[in-house]
Amino acid sequence: MFELTVNGTKHQVDVVPEMPLLWVLRDELGITSPKYGCGIAQCGACTVQIDGAAVRSCQARMADVAGKAITTLEAVGNGKLHPVQEAWIEHQVPQCGYCQAGQIIQAIALLKTIPKPSDKDIDVVMSGNLCRCGTYERIRGAIHAAAEKMGGK
Amino acid sequence: MRKTILIALTLASSSIVTLTGLVLAKEESKDALPLGSISRAEGLEAWKRIEAVVTHPRCANCHVDARAIPIWTPAGESKSRIHGMNIRGGESRIGAETVPCSTCHVTSKLPNPPAPAPLHAGIDWQLAPVEFIWFGKSGSEICAQLKDSKRNGGRDAAGLVEHLKHDASLSGFIPRAWAPGTGRTPPPGTFEDHVRDMALWGAAGQPCPD
Repeated sequence: MFELTVNGTKHQVDVVPEMPLLWVLRDELGITSPKYGCGIAQCGACTVQIDGAAVRSCQARMADVAGKAITTLEAVGNGKLHPVQEAWIEHQVPQCGYCQAGQIIQAIALLKTIPKPSDKDIDVVMSGNLCRCGTYERIRGAIHAAAEKMGGK
Repeated sequence: MRKTILIALTLASSSIVTLTGLVLAKEESKDALPLGSISRAEGLEAWKRIEAVVTHPRCANCHVDARAIPIWTPAGESKSRIHGMNIRGGESRIGAETVPCSTCHVTSKLPNPPAPAPLHAGIDWQLAPVEFIWFGKSGSEICAQLKDSKRNGGRDAAGLVEHLKHDASLSGFIPRAWAPGTGRTPPPGTFEDHVRDMALWGAAGQPCPD
């Protein structure tokens, strides 16, 4: 039995230590924003925050995340929309939407590290998050807009 | 601001690691052998086996220069290529400036998953310090570097052996090179063989090929 905190709520899950966090979130806890894309950290669709850092949840195994604080897209705005989510809507970024939860979590991580990113910064940091709909131009625009909203702080 | 703090913290922790290495280098390793107890010829034989390990892609691919571009040798291939996804280790060598290595190479002591999933280790994934360049270097260049305290973390021969053992105690990168997960090739021999060879080489006075 493992304990973990997801979006501020403590949960106990009875799973094998090797089970990826992504499985725990989706199949055990019914939290479905992180998506299964590749299972090998090549697409970024499963990205969540673990103790505040963006991590591919398909690679984080239960034994390693027990006791840690997990945040998924459902809670990044603390009850309202996060500025990145607002910018995402304003720029109509999602098309099929499958990769977008991971994209937004990664974009939040980018803005924590680089509050006013250049196009190159965005391309470098977001390169591990793939979008088959090709929304990269919109992602870039939304990240610039979110940086403005957040005051570059 | 946060970026600056993160990088500063990372560099500070790198200094702590270096200082720890200096301290360890002064400790006698139980596995180290007395200097002079092994002949130069035996030491050179041991070096040949060490060279096969340190030039193996599993070990050399993260010992890269200041550009901090990690190298991939995909499972089933022998040709090296640069790490995909624009990944750069940065000055921090852990990717703190852009995407931390641990975003995908999650810190874990559990066995490595099969290729092509990323490798894991019990310590946070990182490039080797910039002084320790192995990728693209010849065996004799690496040999000269390994016995140079300015380019090996301030370690003497016993300190190098102790470094291997300390890394193993953390389920670090070195022993896990021999357990890289299904589909990936490990370096020759075993981790224990490598520790023994480093002790033999050290006891022979760390001879390098001409």
